Amino acid sequence: MNGNEIIEKINTVLADEFEIDAATITPDAPLMETLDMDSLDLVDVVVLVEQSFGITLRGEDFVGITTFREFYGLIEGKMNG
Amino acid sequence: MGDRKRDKWTGRSRGGGFGHRFFVFLIRRAGIGFAYGFLSLVVVYFIPFAPRATSAVWFYCRRVLGRSRGNSLRALFTHYYRFGQTLVDRIAIGAGMDDRYRFEFDNYADFLRILDSGTGVVMIGAHVGSWEAGARFFGDYARRMNIVLLDAESEKIKKALERNAVRSEYKVIAVGGDGLDSVLKIKNALDAGEYVCFQGDRFVGGEGTVEAGFMGRPARFPRGPFLVAARMRVPVVFHYSMRGPGRRYRFHFVEAQGKTETALLDEYLRVTERIVRAYPEQWFNFYEFWK
Repeated sequence: MNGNEIIEKINTVLADEFEIDAATITPDAPLMETLDMDSLDLVDVVVLVEQSFGITLRGEDFVGITTFREFYGLIEGKMNG
Repeated sequence: MGDRKRDKWTGRSRGGGFGHRFFVFLIRRAGIGFAYGFLSLVVVYFIPFAPRATSAVWFYCRRVLGRSRGNSLRALFTHYYRFGQTLVDRIAIGAGMDDRYRFEFDNYADFLRILDSGTGVVMIGAHVGSWEAGARFFGDYARRMNIVLLDAESEKIKKALERNAVRSEYKVIAVGGDGLDSVLKIKNALDAGEYVCFQGDRFVGGEGTVEAGFMGRPARFPRGPFLVAARMRVPVVFHYSMRGPGRRYRFHFVEAQGKTETALLDEYLRVTERIVRAYPEQWFNFYEFWK
């Protein structure tokens, strides 16, 4: 899966789960605000991403993650790591 | 009711280090029985001088349990007294006097089987009885236990745990701020096959809560413990440590069958209600719990 495919899949999964228009997800948009997430929703995001990409996310992975671009980078890094 | 200013729980509890040290001194010098006797005097003080707590207990007795005025008046004393007894017991047990108590367990083998299953486990209790009384009896399992505490109470309870469960190896996950860090710590602990312990009847603020019927009246409950357990697909155990007569504690462990957030919450409410009805004077939420 290349970078664009990963981004597209992340956007689709998150847009479906949070019932938002996928077009509102842009690389520099803030993750939490765009998805209107609270801390409990993060559990959903983590479980969804782990199931969709077969990776494991740790708490420390999220340090400094505020935008979708950074989130994409995290997932790509995990998949390639 | 509607105009009454709701006395929400703020995350802070009454009492402190001096009271603890005083009771340690009293128990060691004069014995547990004497400490109970002294406690009776403290209770008489608390009834008029802790009006919000007294009002909450009164409401609980009159409106929730449906008791008469006379019965409720007596219950005020026994309620505070029972609470004080659990505090004295906790101190005594922490000071190494556990041989003065009897401990009984319901479904203990099943509980240990779940803990030994190698997967993370969510344990959900309530502010009833005294789970701290059994804190030191989990032995090696304690090293894999993470207690989720609200920020406001975490430091105080951490200190109390250090004082009372000297040999415990519990880890504390403090929930505060935006909660992201704590949610991820909870997930990490469950991923690592550890146990995460919540109190299912307590929250600060209204975020992340859900209204549900409990003991015949609507009240709010935190979604977090039930949502995390459902999403992470880990076994859930409801646990309660209740004081019986004759310095006896009975630990109740109930394996949850529900798989969804809603089913788990419903089941928790049913089981907790059964426990509260069996031990009505050990409901220790001293604030306006019901709407």
